[in-house]
Amino acid sequence: MDSPLHHFELHPIIPISVMGVDLSINKAILAMWIGCALVFGLFMLAGKKGGSVVPSKLQSIFEIAMEFIQGMVEEFIGKEEGKKYFSFIASLFIFILTCNLIGLIPGSYTITSQLAVTGAFAFGIFILTLVIGFAKHGMHFLSILVPPGVPKIMIPLMVPIEIISMLARPISLSVRLFANMTAGHTVLAVLFGLAMSASIWIGWMPFGFTVIINGLEIAIAFIQAYIFTTLTCVYIGDVIKLH
Amino acid sequence: MVNSNGFRQGMGIAFKLGLEMAVATALGGFIGYGADQILGTKPWGLVVGIVLGSAGGMLNVYRAAMQMTKELEEEEKKTDNPQDTDEQN
Repeated sequence: MDSPLHHFELHPIIPISVMGVDLSINKAILAMWIGCALVFGLFMLAGKKGGSVVPSKLQSIFEIAMEFIQGMVEEFIGKEEGKKYFSFIASLFIFILTCNLIGLIPGSYTITSQLAVTGAFAFGIFILTLVIGFAKHGMHFLSILVPPGVPKIMIPLMVPIEIISMLARPISLSVRLFANMTAGHTVLAVLFGLAMSASIWIGWMPFGFTVIINGLEIAIAFIQAYIFTTLTCVYIGDVIKLH
Repeated sequence: MVNSNGFRQGMGIAFKLGLEMAVATALGGFIGYGADQILGTKPWGLVVGIVLGSAGGMLNVYRAAMQMTKELEEEEKKTDNPQDTDEQN
């Protein structure tokens, strides 16, 4: 019997090694490519001929999604500033959502269940916020480390606290997405293992739970993609407004 | 779309806040431990690190909670307004 974490392991399908660096193609990379292709293909299909005035079914789905993301960006970053970051936030949301949903197809792979992937997203966003902050406010950006209304004596204490709380943000951002996806898929694997190892007289019960939890996982895929992008908006908005 | 449902919104809040404190405390602890290893100030770096880390975690949770109460208040204002009947849950 395989361990329930077995399906998170990655084995190279096409081994590629460039100067000692492992660049093998494995299941996760295939899933990521499929995700990219799916997002790109669907958007090309939805927006062909620049979009019609009377939208087709597919086009109206994407219009609703875009309006939803636009509302989010405007709320957290601001109407004027938000326009610059809208395309980034929208791609982030759609890509994470697609990858989460692809993982729910049996036999495929959830790339967001790898800490390396979510960590790379979060680290990139952290660097992005620093770059935006320094580009926008210059050296004055460092005042983000001192909350407003703090007495001067408290500043040496508040600066390390603020630094730690800032460094903790990308970690919690990446761990949250990774842990939720991993936990959900592990539960599915355990229940399915139970269903397979029992006889059919009792095995239908865990199998039924698998179906129900799969439905819950679809909701979690949406929630986690939403939380990830909302927090990204909040962090960018914090850096732009500086308190 | 996603935030239109009370249950899902509640789940979102639960997922959001749970991690913040643990991560910041652990990070402060790690930084303190690393400082101990380099500077040779055996227990004190860890102690100070954990204290500062948990303070940072509480700060993060406090800010997230403030953000949420602000959102909730705005929503309540919207529902109080009888003209906005198209925003149903």
